[in-house]
Amino acid sequence: NTAVSRRYVLCEVVSEDPRCRQCIEDRAVGLAVRDAIGRVHGDYGLACCSISFTVKYLNAYTGTVLLRCRKDSYRLLCSALPFVRQLESRNQRYPCALNTLHVGGTIRTCQKFLIQYNRRQLLVLLQNCTNEEERQCVQKSLSSCSLTEEQSQSGDEEDDGSTE
Amino acid sequence: ELPDGVTRPTVAQFKQLVVSALRELHGEVGAALPVDVLTYEEKTLSAILRVISSGFVKLWSALTLLGFYQNRRCAFRVLQTSPFLLALAGNSRELVLD
Repeated sequence: NTAVSRRYVLCEVVSEDPRCRQCIEDRAVGLAVRDAIGRVHGDYGLACCSISFTVKYLNAYTGTVLLRCRKDSYRLLCSALPFVRQLESRNQRYPCALNTLHVGGTIRTCQKFLIQYNRRQLLVLLQNCTNEEERQCVQKSLSSCSLTEEQSQSGDEEDDGSTE
Repeated sequence: ELPDGVTRPTVAQFKQLVVSALRELHGEVGAALPVDVLTYEEKTLSAILRVISSGFVKLWSALTLLGFYQNRRCAFRVLQTSPFLLALAGNSRELVLD
């Protein structure tokens, strides 16, 4: 079986600084992750993980990032993610952390997980809503989201509107 | 092995060299590997190192790929390895058969 086996790691960028969102872009995130792998696992680890490494998807609004790597080196990648401390873009850097949400063998499994996860997060947001307007916005999103049979970006399904 | 004229490292500097080799090739995880310098002879620049067997490959690869000490070329030559310290007392490579 000569097909290359890959792992897709789904994570979310968590930051206390709201300006960090503008740094959530593939180049900045990719560099930050590779820098962390280099620090934690050295030249060997960095080289190992860099084969087939890429940022497959990201959503700056929700802070969701999907990374891809080889199956042989996903452990090196995952163990280095807690060591990402900041994102840097256009000479601005902001502190942040990466939470690993899910590791899957295909993009599809990660997408399914993300849809369920986002649905649960919307419920949490609903509980934390401070005014009626936000409440209605979130409730509308919740009732309109669903997993349709055709391929659709999970990031587009839920529209958080004004809530943070 | 060091070129002539370089001040020989002390045992602490030697250990620092080993740890920094591990850090370069294997990162903080490598540098955190518990490596002990059991003996060190400054004159011959030879030492006996001890490492947990799960870190053996990391240590040997890091030593192999270390190229510089204080900006001068250097090389580590591994003469003998064994799970038993006593085995290092005799080197079967230097054994001469009559």
